[in-house]
Amino acid sequence: MLGQQIISGLATGSLYALTAIAVVVVFRNTRTINVAQGDFSMIAAFIAVLLLKSGANYYVTIAATVLFTVALGILVERLVMRPIADSDWLTLFTATLGVYYIMHGVAGWIWGRDTKAFPVTFDPTPIHFFGVIVSEGHLINMAWAASIGVVLFLFFRFTKQGIAMRAVTDDPETATLMGIPVRFIVLLTWGMAGFLGAFAGILIAPILYVSPQMMDEVLIKGYVAAVFGGLYSIPGAIIGALMIGVAENLAGGYLGSHYKTATAFVMIVALLALRPKGLLGIQNRREI
Amino acid sequence: MALKNPKARASAVVHDRAAVAALKSRFAVQNFYLVVFFFALLLLTPLVPGFKGWMAGQASLVIVYIIAAQGVSILSGYTGLVSVGHGGFLAIGAYAAALLTKYFAVDLVLAVVTGAVAAGFVGMLMGLIFLRLAGPFMAIGTLGFAFFVGTVVNNVPIFEGREGISLPANRIFGVVIGDIGFYYASVVFLALVTLFIFSLVRSSVGRALKALRDSEKAAQSCGVNRLSYRTLAFTVSATITGAAGALNGLVVHYVSAEVYSDIWYSVDILVAAVVGGSAMLMGPIVGGAFVALLPFFLETFADFSFILKGVVLIAVLMFAPAGICDVVARPIRAYRRRRLERAGAAPGESAATPRRPFGLADQQGDA
Repeated sequence: MLGQQIISGLATGSLYALTAIAVVVVFRNTRTINVAQGDFSMIAAFIAVLLLKSGANYYVTIAATVLFTVALGILVERLVMRPIADSDWLTLFTATLGVYYIMHGVAGWIWGRDTKAFPVTFDPTPIHFFGVIVSEGHLINMAWAASIGVVLFLFFRFTKQGIAMRAVTDDPETATLMGIPVRFIVLLTWGMAGFLGAFAGILIAPILYVSPQMMDEVLIKGYVAAVFGGLYSIPGAIIGALMIGVAENLAGGYLGSHYKTATAFVMIVALLALRPKGLLGIQNRREI
Repeated sequence: MALKNPKARASAVVHDRAAVAALKSRFAVQNFYLVVFFFALLLLTPLVPGFKGWMAGQASLVIVYIIAAQGVSILSGYTGLVSVGHGGFLAIGAYAAALLTKYFAVDLVLAVVTGAVAAGFVGMLMGLIFLRLAGPFMAIGTLGFAFFVGTVVNNVPIFEGREGISLPANRIFGVVIGDIGFYYASVVFLALVTLFIFSLVRSSVGRALKALRDSEKAAQSCGVNRLSYRTLAFTVSATITGAAGALNGLVVHYVSAEVYSDIWYSVDILVAAVVGGSAMLMGPIVGGAFVALLPFFLETFADFSFILKGVVLIAVLMFAPAGICDVVARPIRAYRRRRLERAGAAPGESAATPRRPFGLADQQGDA
């Protein structure tokens, strides 16, 4: 029972991690707390429903949806964020709020406010996994999240763009002087937010179903997880997301499902009161 | 009207301190008349023929929204902090007032004061936790707080969850008041809060807060205690929003988790403060009216009102970062400055509100 709770908590947490990583990547490169991150996922889920219902293959759907949300992320950067890129973080944050409203309104307008089922259902088939019984759906989600993690690791470690992105994170001025096209990197950052958002949306849709407000709670948990990494560290954010997933699953299992959603807040208050610099204290490197 | 050479200009004009002072006091009186005119308009509205009770109810809701936005504007406008969790204080105020009214049948005034005090107390505790954090962390922390309050009112039995609490008719000093009476009461509350903010901003506390907003380090080196002043601002802000919450529940005689567990309520209040211009007295009034009236006029197109809200918000941030009110006030301010300079005041003497939505300087510590 305990092991099962922990494993399914990890599976949920790995989905939160996708949102948390996107929040961290956007924040550390552009100082923007992106409120619209959940909406990339929400739009992705709606597009996926549309494609799957018209008979597209699951993998084709994923590819098309990812392309769409990457384009959406780039569009948001070009139209909204770039003209005010030099403002303080509060202005940037509030601008993403505007994007949130617009995307919410558009989704509600086109697809309606009702909750829809996702054509690909969550697979609850029990599987014995190191002596613990786990649903197949959870395993599939974890596998997806882990492979995205590997792709991100390879990207940041070995590609020119990934290394340039880390350089921009560390010191935008020096990066500019070294000839790194910072604007392009920022564009890429928003594209990555769209990429991660698409996967988060498609993977979470079978569990939470599809509606304009489906991602609101997930987004807040993603934020809390990002704070665990000091809004700077990707590993810190992943650890935070997994901890939130496990903690809320345990709270839901042993205390009652009411307490599930409040767990994240209790954790963030405890964290901020005890370790205001984040779990790993990494963002000490730069003043935030 | 840029002065090419201010020194030459100043020497050409005869310094006349008395004339400048007279002009300044005349402008102050003009401002005062404007405010009086605004409140007179609000008080006279119910006398317009064809004004119905339900209209008074709607108008009270708008005023309640404005008061909530005023609470947020103390933080976002004058203190340079942001809270995305004021919906939580709104809920605390609403439930405190509702429970008191339901079980003890108390007076409207007492219920509102209790709601405000309850929200202010929780605000003080939250302030002590959140104000030690850098801005972005504080934004996320306060958002989490609103979320937590939403969960509590949804699940703890005394708050009756989505069933909601129905309330009896409102009484002031034992007299039952209807919708129009409530409207007058909320206008009085609005006037009190406006007066309070007006005096707060011009007091030594307000100056300390603005100094902290403009340069934290300089203010601290002058002996301004950052944590205690900001905690005070956070408490005051939560108190005002709590009062708005109490009124919000009492005006419709009904409080339910359906309304108050919606964390985006908090965001709406913040947007109201930003759109209007939070560093100005009229800012939250215009912004609050905008955000509250938009869904009312676009009732059948709820989604379209979302889109419009987003577009207006982004447009304001891009083209009028100090808010809609600032766009209106700017030419008036420029005209007055010209008049003052012609009378012999030093150029740029009259302080202008900052050009940024939150009045934040672009400094490393805040970025």
